[in-house]
Amino acid sequence: MAFTYIPTSQNPRVSGETVDLATMASFLSTVRRVYLTIYNWMVFVGWFQVLYLALRTLYETDYTHVYHAVEKPLQLAQTAAVLEILHGLVGLVRSPVTATLPQIGSRLYVTWGILWSFPETRTHVLVSSLVISWSITEIIRYSFFGLKEALGFAPSWLLWLRYSTFFIFYPTGITSEVGLIYIALPYIKASDKYCIRMPNKWNYAFDYFYAAIVALGIYFPGGLHMYLYMIGQRKKALSKSGKKD
Amino acid sequence: MNMKVLVVSRSGREIIKGGVELKETAIVSDLNRAIHHRMRKYYPSRQRLTLPLQPGSQGKPVVLDPRKKVREYFRGNEEKLTVVLKDLGAQVSYKTLFFWEYLGPLIIYPIFYYYPAIYEYIGYTGERIIHPAQTYAMYYWCFHYFKRIMETFFIHRFSHATSPLSNVFRNCAYYWSFGAYIAYFVNHPLYTPVSDLQMKVGFGFGLLCQVANFYCHILLRNLRGPSGEGGYQIPQGFLFNLVTCANYTTEIYQWLGFNIATQTVAGYVFLVVAASIMTNWALAKHRRLKKGAKGSKNILDSFQISDLVYHLSM
Repeated sequence: MAFTYIPTSQNPRVSGETVDLATMASFLSTVRRVYLTIYNWMVFVGWFQVLYLALRTLYETDYTHVYHAVEKPLQLAQTAAVLEILHGLVGLVRSPVTATLPQIGSRLYVTWGILWSFPETRTHVLVSSLVISWSITEIIRYSFFGLKEALGFAPSWLLWLRYSTFFIFYPTGITSEVGLIYIALPYIKASDKYCIRMPNKWNYAFDYFYAAIVALGIYFPGGLHMYLYMIGQRKKALSKSGKKD
Repeated sequence: MNMKVLVVSRSGREIIKGGVELKETAIVSDLNRAIHHRMRKYYPSRQRLTLPLQPGSQGKPVVLDPRKKVREYFRGNEEKLTVVLKDLGAQVSYKTLFFWEYLGPLIIYPIFYYYPAIYEYIGYTGERIIHPAQTYAMYYWCFHYFKRIMETFFIHRFSHATSPLSNVFRNCAYYWSFGAYIAYFVNHPLYTPVSDLQMKVGFGFGLLCQVANFYCHILLRNLRGPSGEGGYQIPQGFLFNLVTCANYTTEIYQWLGFNIATQTVAGYVFLVVAASIMTNWALAKHRRLKKGAKGSKNILDSFQISDLVYHLSM
């Protein structure tokens, strides 16, 4: 029994403190909102920088220089998304981990495991389509959440964009991701990077090349699943807002 | 005197024209059979019957208990009852599910032991020395899955619950691929064995746990009648006095023994995954038994030690 959790509001010994608990709860919800507002707008700035730098580089020079121009903000903004998984885990936001983890995991894999690890891929034209697809999606998404946390609502056109642009940018983004992994394959095979070979005490072996092939194999059913999931989300979100109007 | 039951889909569409007529004394499983009689596709275990949700009300719908009288679900002076039928999809018995799950590892593992050509095919040439640990591991592994198949057919007494056919594919993918993954490393030509003492301790401890696990299954068997009746009772005696699901505990430690003896990362990954799955089952069963034991103080008392174990482990 000593380990049973008794909600404080029902515990007679401290019932006099319930008023303080209510103030405490509203204070915590304010802290939560302030934190999420800052988080969303900071990541928004990162993605905005990525899009601006990518477009400017394409305009001024050519696609081979895009990666070099966007590298730092791209890595920062994409890695900051790890916090989103944590937000879901601790219950700060409602999005389920089963939806955020594969999405963010695959992005981190391409950002660090492919582009950063195998510089040979960086000059490919798919890097441009990749960062443009990612950054437009994220600019819309983070500004949507940033407004929602700050004001409690977001304009309906932004809601529409949030749940509609994926029709184009999800396929272009995922095609770029798959394409870049595929392009990296010969370089992965030629190098021994991240590989663990037997014999060793723990009888373990890891081959980054086969891992990349497995990743490619997961992309097809996984991508389709996510696409259908987002169509479902779109239906839910847009019908809900329609009812309110 | 007969009563009438309307059967509708979740969207409210009438599934059986005109509903079904039942005797006043009929129980829910009679209703299941009556539905099956009208629609041959929906055999009883494929049906999930619930009461319709009142419009605007939140929460889960009431699921009809097959053993209760249908009359009990009538509200007030209703002339006819409306039930919602959900098709659970094709069902298989747990015997079928378990058999296919366990057959895979039983066949796949020895292939890696007896056909080293697999390793030559992916580039490992040269003489292969078989370490004693690899031979013992193969026998240990096969004994384990042989035991599980035998228990499925001759020891376990299943309730009438069934499993969706899709679970067969999901569970086979899990057991078969993990079996192959572990077998690959334990039988690898470049395998490094542990010390002789560690190997003996590991296999010895593992075997002890398998025997204990077998005894747990005998105790669980005795809780149920030959045709699976008796429902869900609180197991007692032996290790069940310490934890609610001693069968899972011994199963987990049995794999630990195998891993101490063979020492592969693949095996430990499997151990962690299997242990977390079984912990979830154990917590669910613990909760279910506790709910069923409400009002009986003595039974609740006997849970205190295991309660403690669970709370500490969370």
